[in-house]
Amino acid sequence: MGRAAPWLAAGALLIAAPWLVARLFPGVERYVLHIMIFTALAAALALSYDLVVGHVGSLSLAHPAFFGIGAYAAALLATEARWPFPGGLAAAIAAAGLAALLIGVPAFRLAEHSFAIGTLGFALVTQIVATNWVEFTRGPLCVTGVPRPVIGLGPLRLQIATLPQYYWLALSALSLTALLYRGLTTFRIGRAMSAVRDDAGLAACAGINPLKYRMLAFVVGAAVAGGLGALYVHYVTVLCPEELGIGLTVNLLVILFLGGLASLRGVLIGAVLFTALPEVLRIAPTWRLVIYGTILLAVVIWAPEGIDASLRRAGRLRRAGG
Amino acid sequence: MALLEIRGLSKRFLGITAVDGIDLALEPGELVSLIGPNGSGKTTLFNCVTGQLPVDGGRVSFRGEDVTGAPPHRVARLGIGRTFQLVSVFGRLSVLDNMLVFLQQHQEEALFGRLVRAPRLRRLEAAATDRARTLLELVGLAGHAAMPAGQLSYGQRKLLAFAAALMPDPELILLDEPAAAVNPTVIRQMMDHIRLLNRRGKTILLVEHNMEVVMDISQRVVVLDHGQKIAEGPPAVIRRDPRVIEAYFGR
Repeated sequence: MGRAAPWLAAGALLIAAPWLVARLFPGVERYVLHIMIFTALAAALALSYDLVVGHVGSLSLAHPAFFGIGAYAAALLATEARWPFPGGLAAAIAAAGLAALLIGVPAFRLAEHSFAIGTLGFALVTQIVATNWVEFTRGPLCVTGVPRPVIGLGPLRLQIATLPQYYWLALSALSLTALLYRGLTTFRIGRAMSAVRDDAGLAACAGINPLKYRMLAFVVGAAVAGGLGALYVHYVTVLCPEELGIGLTVNLLVILFLGGLASLRGVLIGAVLFTALPEVLRIAPTWRLVIYGTILLAVVIWAPEGIDASLRRAGRLRRAGG
Repeated sequence: MALLEIRGLSKRFLGITAVDGIDLALEPGELVSLIGPNGSGKTTLFNCVTGQLPVDGGRVSFRGEDVTGAPPHRVARLGIGRTFQLVSVFGRLSVLDNMLVFLQQHQEEALFGRLVRAPRLRRLEAAATDRARTLLELVGLAGHAAMPAGQLSYGQRKLLAFAAALMPDPELILLDEPAAAVNPTVIRQMMDHIRLLNRRGKTILLVEHNMEVVMDISQRVVVLDHGQKIAEGPPAVIRRDPRVIEAYFGR
């Protein structure tokens, strides 16, 4: 009870956020909610990415490709084939997971740095296909008019149309991703993944098949990213090939490395800070990127292991001192 | 029937024959030492047996089952434990987790059960934790259970790697220089543990440079030089074997 109370309070606060935002930020509540939706989706995407980078220690650069494959699958199925939203979402998850299954086996034959380059190659090829296969993806003309998602059936049919509804949808996606993340990274699966990250050869001597756990993280991470791609495209309603670019990888890496690798709390802190921060800084448009860059540098200098590790150390010192 | 049987095992690196047609059989309950000058192929032989290196010729069987070329995780699950010359532990895992991770793969592999923490697994986990604490007590690391293993001293890491290899209760244990680069106290502890294990019926193959240790502890000694077996026998005989003396000290 004592330990659950703060979590329940935080949960209630998050669910009630649309009303609070309307009170606290009258006039700009739509904009604030929009940032919150982006933050929730970015946090979930970063968690799915951390399964690979933080937990099995493989620096994949293919994550935007899986996000993009999911987004394109959902967008094209919804606009060209008129698929309902749940079907498109399932197809997006399956398509991204299948892509990861196919490229994962050869990619994991590569050692560390070659693995990063190999997965980068896959990401670039995916983006080039999205740009140049105009008859299928509409290329630089972008897929437009992706409809608002409809969930449920019959009398429980609900169209997600307002910003608060989108926010709750994104919040649910984040919660589900966080639950899955916790299940996979604690107890026996998490221990086996950490062992593979720390020393794959020794892990094999402990009876762990390193490829199996790397593939598990890679495929589950990709499938989640694909699902988030579908949610994203049904929110912004337009999908262009640039979204699959290296910029997204950079943002995700900033969230992971500055927030805290292999830590649920660290990734969440990173996602909030580095998704919301650039937006908040729009109040000083000229200096925006300068301030953002300075903050990044400051974190790298004073919290090189990530904000979460620094918080933890500060907590230990306080307990030891008091 | 021999527990471990190696026949004509060969391994070449870029034309250099590191292991050259070795035959070796271990009977259940034996404690055998593998000695030889640096570069004589002892560690390569270990790596071929446990699947770290692919084999170029010959075969390895364990309990009558052919394990030649089997991947290391499969060899481990069949009941062969090992430690490494350069001590290796999982640096960011806690000392206790280092122990637990060595047992869990031998128990259950159904991922869904692991994801939802099936009650059966929770019971196994509790029993594993008890076993881990007992073994940590034995090697004197019980007080460090929660510490990240990377923060232990070299000798402590060596003891941890040894204790972790015992977690799944392997039938055969390959120890690569357990007494190297640690202080005399740790060497004595290590020797006591190895003797105790052997008395409990475990089969042990030991690579060691410390001759005092080898002559004191082994029932049989196998000598390698340039990848070939040059002598084999009880310690008292090996000590006086002219081929062995020549291999070590030259003519």
